[in-house]
Amino acid sequence: MDELALTCEQIARWNSRLRKVRILADYLRPLSDADLVRAVRFLCCGPIPAGEGKFSVGGSTLREALRLASGWDAQTLAACYAQVGDTGETVARLMRGIAARRPMSLADAELLYARVFKQRRTVDKVELLRQIYLEHNPETLKFFVKAITGNLRIGLQAKMVEEAVAEATGASLEDVRSANNRAGDLPQVALAARRGTLGEIRARLFHPMEFMLAKPLDAVGDVADPRDWWVEDKYDGFRSQIHAEGDRVAIFTRGLESVTEAFPEIVAAVKGAGQGVVLDGEVLAWRDGRALPFAVLQQRIARRKLTAELAASVPVVFVAYDVLYCDGTMLVDAPLEDRRRAMEKVVAAMPLILIAPQWRVDAHEEIDAAFTAARQRGNEGLVLKRKGSTYEAGRRSGSWLKVKRPHGSLDVVVTAAETGSGRRAIYLSDYTFAVRDGDKYLNVGKAYSGLTDEEVRELTRVLRSVSTDRFGKVTLVRPEVVLEVTFDGVQKSPRHKSGFALRFPRIVRWRRDKRPEEADTLHRVKELYEAATGAGGS
Amino acid sequence: MRVEIEYTPQGIYLPEIDLWLDPQERCENSWISHGHSDHARGLHCTVIATPETLRVYRIRWPEDTETPQDLRCLRYSESMEWRGAILTACRASHILGAAQLLIEYGGERVVYTGDIKLRDSICGAPTEVVPCDRLIIESTFGLPIFHFLGQEEARDRIVEFARECLDDGITPVFAGYPLGRGQEVAHALCQAGIPTGIHGAIARMIPVYEDSGYGFPGWSAYDARATAGKALVVVPGFRATLEASGKNFRMAYVSGWAGLDNARNRAGAEELIPYSDHGDFEELLAMVERSGARHVDVVHGYTEDFARILNGRGKVRAYAPHQAAGRSDSDTLDS
Repeated sequence: MDELALTCEQIARWNSRLRKVRILADYLRPLSDADLVRAVRFLCCGPIPAGEGKFSVGGSTLREALRLASGWDAQTLAACYAQVGDTGETVARLMRGIAARRPMSLADAELLYARVFKQRRTVDKVELLRQIYLEHNPETLKFFVKAITGNLRIGLQAKMVEEAVAEATGASLEDVRSANNRAGDLPQVALAARRGTLGEIRARLFHPMEFMLAKPLDAVGDVADPRDWWVEDKYDGFRSQIHAEGDRVAIFTRGLESVTEAFPEIVAAVKGAGQGVVLDGEVLAWRDGRALPFAVLQQRIARRKLTAELAASVPVVFVAYDVLYCDGTMLVDAPLEDRRRAMEKVVAAMPLILIAPQWRVDAHEEIDAAFTAARQRGNEGLVLKRKGSTYEAGRRSGSWLKVKRPHGSLDVVVTAAETGSGRRAIYLSDYTFAVRDGDKYLNVGKAYSGLTDEEVRELTRVLRSVSTDRFGKVTLVRPEVVLEVTFDGVQKSPRHKSGFALRFPRIVRWRRDKRPEEADTLHRVKELYEAATGAGGS
Repeated sequence: MRVEIEYTPQGIYLPEIDLWLDPQERCENSWISHGHSDHARGLHCTVIATPETLRVYRIRWPEDTETPQDLRCLRYSESMEWRGAILTACRASHILGAAQLLIEYGGERVVYTGDIKLRDSICGAPTEVVPCDRLIIESTFGLPIFHFLGQEEARDRIVEFARECLDDGITPVFAGYPLGRGQEVAHALCQAGIPTGIHGAIARMIPVYEDSGYGFPGWSAYDARATAGKALVVVPGFRATLEASGKNFRMAYVSGWAGLDNARNRAGAEELIPYSDHGDFEELLAMVERSGARHVDVVHGYTEDFARILNGRGKVRAYAPHQAAGRSDSDTLDS
């Protein structure tokens, strides 16, 4: 553990991802098998092995032990913690010069975590932690505690640990990723990578797997031969993964978090799935055989607790379009057609789970027609899926293409701007924009991209000349600059005074030809919202 | 009898002898402890300070013919009579020319430390601990989480980081304040034989240091077109400009705040070198103890926490005046 802590400090002092990975790989390479498993676990999974339970030791327990070990009063301790912002680091800084500096191996750390985990009562956990703090190197305690609080704060993402495992073991990154995606247990994957047995890693359910992503396609004509593709509607819902085995069900979104509680009717529909299945698809608000706009579906997620009225007023379905796992087998490497057949079989017995219809097309005009039809059905556009393609988890490879046309465009007025990061750190490159409401300008969104560097530079100059105030990175400006923005939809927003926010706004161009008085109005935004939600008049 | 001391938003005032200590605004009579911009400010009628501080003060506040001023030079260990009191300038390790002020009046010895640390600096005088009855001390880093490097270790870390980067073909960049840290870092680099490009705001104070005997062999003014093989010493805000230039660089942050990992995000630096011109927690405690003062007024930084900690240890009566935070933090903001 002492070595691991030193390695973490080295990783922290490089911004370069490559260097971080290399430092970690060099550390992992000579470790024994058992230590490799421990190190990877402490780095990205927590103090105890997956499946052994929840290591429920919170910040207050950790800091109470620090109070007792360091002898500092609660007020001083609180002031220190507020300044440091990390429990492990606070422990390290306050135990300096007090702790006995006994070495701690990875095996020692594992044993200590297990002992803390075994304590039932909080007072016993505190006492044990107090002893640990007094005995070991503060530099090591820092990361010993960070592994418990779950954030190392050294700029090391799980993906980088996968890379380091591949580099240290000589296994291919592709294989490490894929095995970790199946099993969600990187420590065991690391061991298998070293032994050359990655292929034997079995899939495990109820941890989110990576989604395959679609590449945007600007024009249908960009597809060389339409006959190479299957065509499906693109739904405007929550991209989700359903894991089901026997009576156990979990729904994960693309942020890889669980939203199971928000959709009990879907859970009920897949319960009793038998052998186990992982479906990929979309949760949609659904009424009278068609999808309701995304803004309607959002109401279901916005509330912490789902009420019966809400469940009734916003009914949902799950539209399945792929299957990653079925009956004990990962299907990601099977061709799309085989997966589809397997999916149809599983879903047949599940109410509320629809299957996304799929078409073959022979000509570009047919894709165009399909697009129009999809839009008429209230869907966002089309997804083209390459015939015979595999499920490329976590990739946006081009085997799936999405065709969607923007919702519309508006002329808006810039009211505030922020400096960007990296190359754009000295330019005002992030713009908050507004629409007109009488003689006022009310914000409806914020956009970052779409202008060339040249334009950003010039716009920065113009905005600085009309700036009225500054708060840190944010510069407020007189409403003078008009931009044309495009977006994917309009939604209600409590954050903006206007009450609305544009979804995924992108800047189309700088309308130097327009005056702020010519910008679009809040009334127009309301119209767009009502047209989309069908809320007009009600 | 106790010397009367008033803590106001404009600064610390001693009414019996009509003297301000580091006031924020133009005052009649002022003691200026050192040249940082949050201390050396305003066209006071009378300014008392060390010769180095007066020189920096004059650079910052050029003479104004409309406002005649009386600049009184008080060298280290020199005393002067002032309205019935005896004022003595005592060495303070902080920046070049920094001094504490010993005020002897009515049989009481009061020491105002100004900004200070106990350990030696890379450049500047060592601190003299002055026995006193009452100590007015700062607490910029008055929490037990702060531990800093000594000047030798700091030098080594600075040079080591510069060499590590140069060997990698990466430009090492040090963010330093225009007065104090910037020159200390540049001095350490130049002395180690590393060619160093120095940002103008830092470079303009270099003659003051050279006249005090600190060498900067091989330094050059920062030039965006000639950075290869050089270490750079720039002001903290310069990071954005460097980033925009697309140069391959790594930045080191040399500061007391670099004693916390969150400085990586705040300063955008990869390497943290916790070295300050302020004392760390242990140094502040040691200074209080060694001064023998029975009364301690804590005037800057974590005043209430540090005063509470002092009171908890017994021996002294510590107090954190509410009006004492009238100036900005020289370790975060100095321009």
